[in-house]
Amino acid sequence: MAEFSWDVRSPLDRALLAGPYGAHGDAGVTLTEIRNFDLVQVMARRGKAVDMATVAKTRFGVAAPETPKAVHTADATLIWSGPDQFFILAKNGKHAMDWLVPTFAASGSLSEQSHARALISISGAKARAMLAKLSSIDLHPGAFAVGAAAATSMDHTSVTLWRGNDRDGQAVLNVLVFATFAESLWHTMLDSAAEYGVAIAHSEELT
Amino acid sequence: MRIVCPFCGERELGEFTYLGDAKPVRPAADAGEDAVYDYVYLRDNIAGVMSENWYHGGGCRAWLKVTRNTLTHEISAVEPAAGAGAAKVGA
Repeated sequence: MAEFSWDVRSPLDRALLAGPYGAHGDAGVTLTEIRNFDLVQVMARRGKAVDMATVAKTRFGVAAPETPKAVHTADATLIWSGPDQFFILAKNGKHAMDWLVPTFAASGSLSEQSHARALISISGAKARAMLAKLSSIDLHPGAFAVGAAAATSMDHTSVTLWRGNDRDGQAVLNVLVFATFAESLWHTMLDSAAEYGVAIAHSEELT
Repeated sequence: MRIVCPFCGERELGEFTYLGDAKPVRPAADAGEDAVYDYVYLRDNIAGVMSENWYHGGGCRAWLKVTRNTLTHEISAVEPAAGAGAAKVGA
């Protein structure tokens, strides 16, 4: 009988090679894949958007975004993904399906996406220049502030994009991409960033 | 061409898919063969302002009703199509 390996692996496991890439010198772009997150998509049932918003606010203490925004709660990030729907991004099983099902039982449909997406965090002095090659969204700090989000496409691939809290005075842009498209988008990102020099890493934990 | 999605804001054409005329309405079950034939096959080829269905598949995945001038590509209105966003239906 054939032997199967059911090890949980990142969709970028094969493509990601930690270290420097592209132009030598100081890296203009930092690409970090973040692993081991919990991700659930919540979509309001027909006519239940108000109920869903109410129970979400009770559970998370802040209102779920109703416009393209990402909001931080004590232990999760809520990211707008379309009208009357949003993602819950968390870790350590705190907002895993088992805990969310009773909360949203009467108002929302839940979809487990933890292993269906790859999460890539982009920062660095040239991050915006590199993303300008891939995205038609205006990512100027004045137009895309901390907490701004967008459901958009990069290289014909649907992504969820949002700006996290700044790190070391620099913008951090996060991209959630379908797992099966992650490798393709990753290579496109590397091609786009190569001229600026890239620092590639992965994190085993959402921070 | 750009379309201002009522949910996402202004986006490039590449994020959208064109479906076609938003005007035809499914006839009643007893409307007869001619009415069904008209609904399924017959389309006006409008040179001017028309109402169209567009899908924001590269973004929020909502269906939109776009009022567009086919001669100039000028878009005068964009609104969610019926059923876009659970809140818009039977809330």
